[in-house]
Amino acid sequence: MKTQGQNILFLILLLISIMGYSQVKISGKVSFKNKGVAGVNVTLKETYDGTTTDAQGNFTFETSEKGTHVITFTHPKYENIERTVSIENQDISLNVDLKEQISEIDAVVVSAGSIEASDKKRATALLTPIDIYTTAGADGQISSALTYLPGVQKVGGTEGLFIRGGTGTESKIFMDGSLINNYFSNSVPGIAGRDQFNTSLFKGNIFSSGGYSALYGQALSGALMLESVDLPDETSYNFGISPIFLSAGFQKLGDNKNYSYGATAGYSLLSLMQKVFKFNTDFVEAPQGLNGDLNFRFKTKSGGFFKYYGMFNSNKMGVKSESLEPGYDFSLVKLNGKNTFHNLSFKQKFGKYLLNVGGSYSYNRSDLHFSTETNDIESNRSQLLTDGNYLNFKAVLERKINRISAVRGGIELNNTDENLNFEAVQKHYKDLISSAFMETDLGFSNALSAKIGVRAEHSSFLGKNNIAPRFAIAYRLAKDWTTSLAYGLFYQNPESKYINGPANLDFQKSQHYIFQVQRASEGRTLRFEAFYKKYDQLIKTFNVTPDKEQNQQIQTALNNDGYGYAKGVEFFWRDNKKTFENIDYWISYSYLDSKRDFLNYPVSLQPSFAAQHTLSAVAKRFIPEWKLGVNLSYTYAKGRPYYDIASTFDNGKAINYTRNEGRLKDYNALNFSINYLPNIGKKDARSFPVFVLSVSNILGSKNVYGYNFSADGSRSSAIVPPVNTFVFIGAFISFGVDKTDDAINNNL
Amino acid sequence: MKKYLLSFALAFVSLTAFAQANYDKIMTEKIAKIETCKTPEDFQTLANDFQRIGSKESTKWLPAYYAAFSYIQKGRTLMRDGKMQELDVIADQAEKHLSMAQNLAGADNAEIHLLRKMSYSLRMMVNPAQRYMTDGARAAEEMNAAEKLDPANPRVALIKAEDVYFTPEQYGGSKTKGLEMFKDAQAKFNAYKPKTALDPNWGKAEADYFLSMPAEKAK
Repeated sequence: MKTQGQNILFLILLLISIMGYSQVKISGKVSFKNKGVAGVNVTLKETYDGTTTDAQGNFTFETSEKGTHVITFTHPKYENIERTVSIENQDISLNVDLKEQISEIDAVVVSAGSIEASDKKRATALLTPIDIYTTAGADGQISSALTYLPGVQKVGGTEGLFIRGGTGTESKIFMDGSLINNYFSNSVPGIAGRDQFNTSLFKGNIFSSGGYSALYGQALSGALMLESVDLPDETSYNFGISPIFLSAGFQKLGDNKNYSYGATAGYSLLSLMQKVFKFNTDFVEAPQGLNGDLNFRFKTKSGGFFKYYGMFNSNKMGVKSESLEPGYDFSLVKLNGKNTFHNLSFKQKFGKYLLNVGGSYSYNRSDLHFSTETNDIESNRSQLLTDGNYLNFKAVLERKINRISAVRGGIELNNTDENLNFEAVQKHYKDLISSAFMETDLGFSNALSAKIGVRAEHSSFLGKNNIAPRFAIAYRLAKDWTTSLAYGLFYQNPESKYINGPANLDFQKSQHYIFQVQRASEGRTLRFEAFYKKYDQLIKTFNVTPDKEQNQQIQTALNNDGYGYAKGVEFFWRDNKKTFENIDYWISYSYLDSKRDFLNYPVSLQPSFAAQHTLSAVAKRFIPEWKLGVNLSYTYAKGRPYYDIASTFDNGKAINYTRNEGRLKDYNALNFSINYLPNIGKKDARSFPVFVLSVSNILGSKNVYGYNFSADGSRSSAIVPPVNTFVFIGAFISFGVDKTDDAINNNL
Repeated sequence: MKKYLLSFALAFVSLTAFAQANYDKIMTEKIAKIETCKTPEDFQTLANDFQRIGSKESTKWLPAYYAAFSYIQKGRTLMRDGKMQELDVIADQAEKHLSMAQNLAGADNAEIHLLRKMSYSLRMMVNPAQRYMTDGARAAEEMNAAEKLDPANPRVALIKAEDVYFTPEQYGGSKTKGLEMFKDAQAKFNAYKPKTALDPNWGKAEADYFLSMPAEKAK
């Protein structure tokens, strides 16, 4: 009995152990949209059993567990899936379909019309401060560097971004969401003003050549949104020296890394270079400028972030040119410009809400003196004094809906108060533009997203309202290929400089249609964009008899009967060190077909600022052994038309007519620059110098930007760059923080 | 009766011992695999294995640690192939597991700080120019934390050596300096005793590899 009992016990034990060790095979396939997914973690919950799917999505594993269990399928790109199984003695076969997890990283982003240089879109990341500093011919200016991108024209004699057949004043520049009213320095006719803002002030930017968000308005053709840097990483001091300028500055970082402040000051004078180079422009007073800026940034205990930036800039110059008017030898113009800009912004997160509030104030004064010189005797000067006060306020509240969707809305107030004094003429222009906007980002899946927005504006000067809808959609065609489509309506007030008499005016209007296909892969970007832009309600002007002693026309607005269009295709290719070791290069080509009847144009014409073909190429190579960066750039633009348009009065009605017209010769410029960083990586180094040598227009092409005509149209003179070929040398030295890190890491 | 009770108790003890042995066994087996994994897929599979173990052994920090490590190794293989775009997703995963590990092991674990350093370094490689100041700085912070907590840790020495080794001379790095540091790491490896058989003990082969390279190649 005892033995039998033992035998039975043994048998039972044996059975249990056999059952316990009997293995059941669980297998199947994991797919997404009928395609197997590799790398999915298949786990029998609460056990060590499980496996990973192979390249075809198949899996198989064995388990000795019994009873009801849960199998989980996890993969970072898909939603987790659980399946309950009952494990008996038979093998189990299980097929599972995954659901895509919507994520910020994988979601397709609307990119029609815009190029973003932020960290998020690294595939298309362009024009970071380093990119700008290392673009030959850009002089470290953001606006110049943008001319090497598709859609932006190099116009020359006037400042501003000329985008897709738009004038320079049709594009607006924003800093942390606030409008910068005077991004460029004051200038004299024929010589473009310079960027007044330091490129290194901004950590990123979004450049939109059309179809942009409802958060931005009063720009018919394009917008540049600059994002200022946050807290610096270290306390640092720096100064720069060159034959044309001196500058110094510091940034102090608080001990707890929750606040920082800094200031810079600079002085520039061109006279030394005038002795070395043959200038086209006769500067009787060499351009000189004095500028300074200060900033503070701090984080509040509750997670808010304040940023302040303020700057002051004054510039002076005097230009003498041969007079086109009979009886005078020369005409002279002297400029005394002053400008100040202050921007305060605040940003805080409240749960799902993000609040962004910002205000800016700017004051700008341009004091121009016109005179003539005959037989070495200067005539009385006539003064054209303009000053303007600009206030901008913007508040945006954003709410995230899910990972990739959001709603945002807000208001913007833009107040302009300008005074103009010219001889007996005194003009006072005031306008308050109040806007409200609402926009939503809708992420349907990682492959499909849309942006729908609307903006409404009221202008107190015009006494009119507008409503501008905007819409964009993006779809991923294949892994690296995306396509997007954008449509938008844009309004802009007539420029105050054309408002010199009573007229019943309205907003100027443009409509954008943009289609884009983009391929973005590791280090390479290919973009193709086609656009159509329709202009309506552009202002029409007539010429007021100009003062005999200066050949600048004064135009005054009549009505909003102007119209026009611009259409074209653009191509962009960037290869960042992928094909050629250490070489980053990009090529852009733009075809533009544009005509408009606006301002004083007598009929619909190709605008004088719209070149039909523009080609540019940029190449950069860093040579680590020599600690040297070598950069080249080239621009070609087909000759633009020029017009000499006059007005006559017939029965009190203004009639414009073309007295002279023609075509400029093609524009060509090859630029070259090198940066030498001798202390790169020297761990014991205390100073970090960067030496720069740049030669713009190295082949000395004699480019022409346009023509000036005498009051009667019988004589003309070419508008040319102040100098054909310019050589710049300079040294920038920083202490405390190794600025060369930027260079290093950009080239590793 | 007494006998039955005893055998029951014994059976129970052996049962728990069996579970324990199973954890040790499977961990030992998987940890050994680290050295044999080559491709990103291999490391993904390994990461999944550790994840699976971690979800059962939710009080132990090592499975999460090794899951994170497998992800980081996957990232490093991708990085060597120049596939930088995927590194963010991988670093996300690694950091998720590192947080779990840190919750269980405490904030003063040098091994976890070192993996965080490696993860931030991966993030930096996505866009070095722009991320040097953020992720690069974070990586440096984590490295300092790890070194302060465990100055004798050979893996800290190894990663420091690698950083110097792969930094071009013009930028303050150097192969010779790197090799000196690998020697230091190797010495630390020889002196190092992991707390348990399962505790992190990787990296010696890597140091040996660099030091065994012919002199010309190392130049």
